[in-house]
Amino acid sequence: MTIPMVSMITCTTTTMPTDAQVMKLAQWLSPAYPVGAFAYSHGLESAVAMGTVPDAAALREWLGDILFQGAGRADAIFLAAAYRAPDAAALAELDATARAFQPSAERLLETTAQGAAFARITGAVWPADLPDLTYPVALGRAARLHDLPLLLTARMYLHAFASNLVSAGIRLIPIGQTDGQKVLTALTPLCERVAEEAMAETLDELSSTAFLADIASMTHETQYSRLFRT
Amino acid sequence: MRLAAKARADGSALADLRQSGAFKALFPRPRDGAVDAILVNTAGGITGGDRFEAQVEARAGSHLRVTTQAAERAYRAQPGERGRVRNRLAVGPGARLDWLPQETILFEGSALERTLMADLAADARLLLVEPLVFGRAAMGEVVHDALFRDRIEIRREGVPLYLDALRLHGDVAADLARPAVAGGAGAMASLVFADPGAEAHLGPLRALMPATGGASLLRKDVLVMRLLAPDSFALRRVLVPVLMRLTGNSLPRSWMT
Repeated sequence: MTIPMVSMITCTTTTMPTDAQVMKLAQWLSPAYPVGAFAYSHGLESAVAMGTVPDAAALREWLGDILFQGAGRADAIFLAAAYRAPDAAALAELDATARAFQPSAERLLETTAQGAAFARITGAVWPADLPDLTYPVALGRAARLHDLPLLLTARMYLHAFASNLVSAGIRLIPIGQTDGQKVLTALTPLCERVAEEAMAETLDELSSTAFLADIASMTHETQYSRLFRT
Repeated sequence: MRLAAKARADGSALADLRQSGAFKALFPRPRDGAVDAILVNTAGGITGGDRFEAQVEARAGSHLRVTTQAAERAYRAQPGERGRVRNRLAVGPGARLDWLPQETILFEGSALERTLMADLAADARLLLVEPLVFGRAAMGEVVHDALFRDRIEIRREGVPLYLDALRLHGDVAADLARPAVAGGAGAMASLVFADPGAEAHLGPLRALMPATGGASLLRKDVLVMRLLAPDSFALRRVLVPVLMRLTGNSLPRSWMT
């Protein structure tokens, strides 16, 4: 995938995040934050079993598609819309839309289970009323309540998403830790670019064309031997 | 065009039909209590500036089956022009609507924006399929420059039940060649079956799927399927048995030719 240079335009219009904001996002999006991300492969387990993702290069391409034109971009759009939702009713409608947009039962589980866990732990540590929401909607809402910068939240969300799937790939394919980190490093500019583009996109521009990733999440439902929930 | 079916003591009947422009409807003899409607685009296809709108309604207790006479063709559009297709479906209490158009074929240079909105009553049933073909493989056509935007929104009593949205722009063939996109497939079908008995069809549908297809039960009463195939012929070979099963062997005849 060719990755054009990230535009610098938005840097002039957003204020620099404070250290405290960065630290809070690092905590929320760390693999140690108990949302259970390690249990979800987003269909990768099935794609590996079918031979579609045999090595580090294929993992980079597969995850690049998901970030650029699959759940990555769509989640960033949902996250931004949640951040900007004017009231509880708008948030609820948005969350219903995010649920309806899931292409399979396991992908619905992936986003609702992580979203519920995120809302539970975040609402308990920093007492606030966070309802059960899909993961990007819950994060967008929490970022708004905590007055965290939206673009950084979206970038770090996509980076955590990619990082988690790289870890899944390291275990499943398997590939070495060094190769895994090289894949993540190659995907990082794409996380930044998609997050930035999604800031300007509304729900009308939602699109998901990672069809084979969606199909892999469906075939995973009947996979005989599984390490992952999705 | 507007088209509605209603329930009668002896089955379903046509309740309303208004046609204008190039869209016409044909009605073969009713079968098994349902109204069959065959939509015909007398213009022979969609080009840049075209607007097509259909409002299709299965009123309380009725059963309406809609298909097209032939594959729809989205032809090359003039620069800056886009063809627009808007379909609105409504399914009333206890009613069933089968929305079974044949393939939409996107030609090189085409520009098409399509929306389908469906409103279901609490106990309404809907079977929906949208087959897509990217260029005419048999003619050696590859789609290197096209625009296609599609959105399917299904709501039950106003609550979003299913949403599918996709944008393809530019070198569609190169995009479809990507590993997590379509792996080089030239045809695709999306299917939704909203029905209290949907769950019973999950196993049989899975068994019909090739490696490039999948079925899943999103909710107890919502079954979805996505299928990729090299071309429209290979797509049909999988899709026709699926549709035969979900229509109870009442797939419209125009599908079988």
